[in-house]
Amino acid sequence: MLEGAELYFNVDPWAWFEDGKASLLTQQDYINLAPVVRPFRNLKIHLQTTDYGNFLANQTNPLTVSKIDTEMRKRLCGEFEYFRNHSLEPLSTFLTYMTCSYMIDNVILLMNGALQKKSVKEILGKCHPLGRFTEMEAVNIAETPSDLFNAILIETPLAPFFQDCMSENALDELNIELLRNKLYKSYLEAFYKFCKNHGDVTADVMCPILEFEADRRAFIITLNSFGTELSKEDRETLYPTFGKLYPEGLRLLAQAEDFDQMKNVADHYGVYKPLFEAVGGSGGKTLEDVFYEHEVQMNVLAFNRQFHYGVFYAYVKLKEQEMRNIVWIAECISQRHRTKINSYIPIL
Amino acid sequence: MEDLVCPLAVLPTAGGDGEGGGSGSECVSMAALDLRAELDSLLLQLLGDLEELEGKRAVLNARVEEGWLSLAKARYAMGTKSVGPLQYASHMEPQVCLQASEAQEGLQKFKVVRSGVHAPEEVGPREAALRRRKGPTKTPEPQSSEAPRDPLNWFGILVPHSLRQAQASFRDGLQLAADIASLQNRIDWGRSQLRGLQEKLKQLELGAA
Repeated sequence: MLEGAELYFNVDPWAWFEDGKASLLTQQDYINLAPVVRPFRNLKIHLQTTDYGNFLANQTNPLTVSKIDTEMRKRLCGEFEYFRNHSLEPLSTFLTYMTCSYMIDNVILLMNGALQKKSVKEILGKCHPLGRFTEMEAVNIAETPSDLFNAILIETPLAPFFQDCMSENALDELNIELLRNKLYKSYLEAFYKFCKNHGDVTADVMCPILEFEADRRAFIITLNSFGTELSKEDRETLYPTFGKLYPEGLRLLAQAEDFDQMKNVADHYGVYKPLFEAVGGSGGKTLEDVFYEHEVQMNVLAFNRQFHYGVFYAYVKLKEQEMRNIVWIAECISQRHRTKINSYIPIL
Repeated sequence: MEDLVCPLAVLPTAGGDGEGGGSGSECVSMAALDLRAELDSLLLQLLGDLEELEGKRAVLNARVEEGWLSLAKARYAMGTKSVGPLQYASHMEPQVCLQASEAQEGLQKFKVVRSGVHAPEEVGPREAALRRRKGPTKTPEPQSSEAPRDPLNWFGILVPHSLRQAQASFRDGLQLAADIASLQNRIDWGRSQLRGLQEKLKQLELGAA
């Protein structure tokens, strides 16, 4: 990364990202990752020739998919910390907002671990490094969401998102799931408001991306809630209150009882109709796959504008997709499913 | 000399060669005929069982592979660390149990039943615990508070479809595994029956000679 690049950010953010964008894997790279004689040997060798370098060098055999994922995360975290250390307001607030989603995931991981009586140390090792905060170790002690807020999270950036989540209900699986989604909903709404108030190109780029995120969550929550103990009323409280679907689409979605009814709702929106039509088919694509593809397209477009913070968000999200791709390829290699390897989403 | 090794020699040997007691050796050859017929049907049964076993093994492998692939897809959708050893406790309550029953002498059959639910009455009088339920009770047996929870919920309530598919694949695999174990037992039992019958046949024909 260029040393003085941050001074030139407002002149040419592209320079900052030249390196960053070049470090995403190309189509040829993905083809070369494909298998071989010894599982992961090709993967490791080829990744060494890319910007990933020797990130797997210190790993003892046998190399597992989980280890590869952990090392990639650490690397991404390192790059992110570099951005954060060089940033000033309001970029630093923007970057903090980005880390909140990982913090929420970590809190939920710790709470679920407490339910399963896992040791805190074991779980801390698997938490996402981007979502690390000092009070993490105490999360498993909380018995109710109010406890969690008052005793532990009140000093963290997650505090403002707790307004709808306070309750004295014991934290069982259903309540943890509700907590996760409500926290995420508040977080998305706050992030959206921040971007909108910032205005300028950042709002132009980030608002559509976040609106898509809100709509995506509404669809996925609905899809996954079919056949579970979650009631329609509860489901509706989890939908973020912004986005293309808000408010009529969300109202319709809350009443949906199966995939076809959901599809009918999506058909009212020009952007979502083709996405839903791509589900299934010969490639066996799921709704999640289709949404990931759309997300990648939107994030790549963020690099076409200048002087905005969306590039940081887009970069991290694209890196995440890349990590998902590599983990998928690694899983296919270890399970010997050569034919499924090509189901990754190409970025460049 | 008839071939003692091959039970498929159905053609009866000549009832003695005219020597020895006429009706005695006829009886023996009738018995030998019956025995050979029994051997034949047993062998056919065995071959049929082997074919079924091969078929079931192939299906089991396919189900297990599907299950693991669906788990990988679930990891893709939920995050690698969200579907893994962090989500389950080291001590688990089984949702299903294996029930062994003896159909014929020495032949054990296996069946997969949901745990926590009493097995159906026809299993037999050996299940003393069941008989308590048949007797008069003032209150129904209290529901066990430890009803095994659906393992799907270890991963959250709103889980993606791929995780449910994985569960369905592994469930099918479980049933198949019990069937395969029963079949394998039946095959082993069949083989030992076969050996027994071959011995008997040998004795019979030695006696007749």
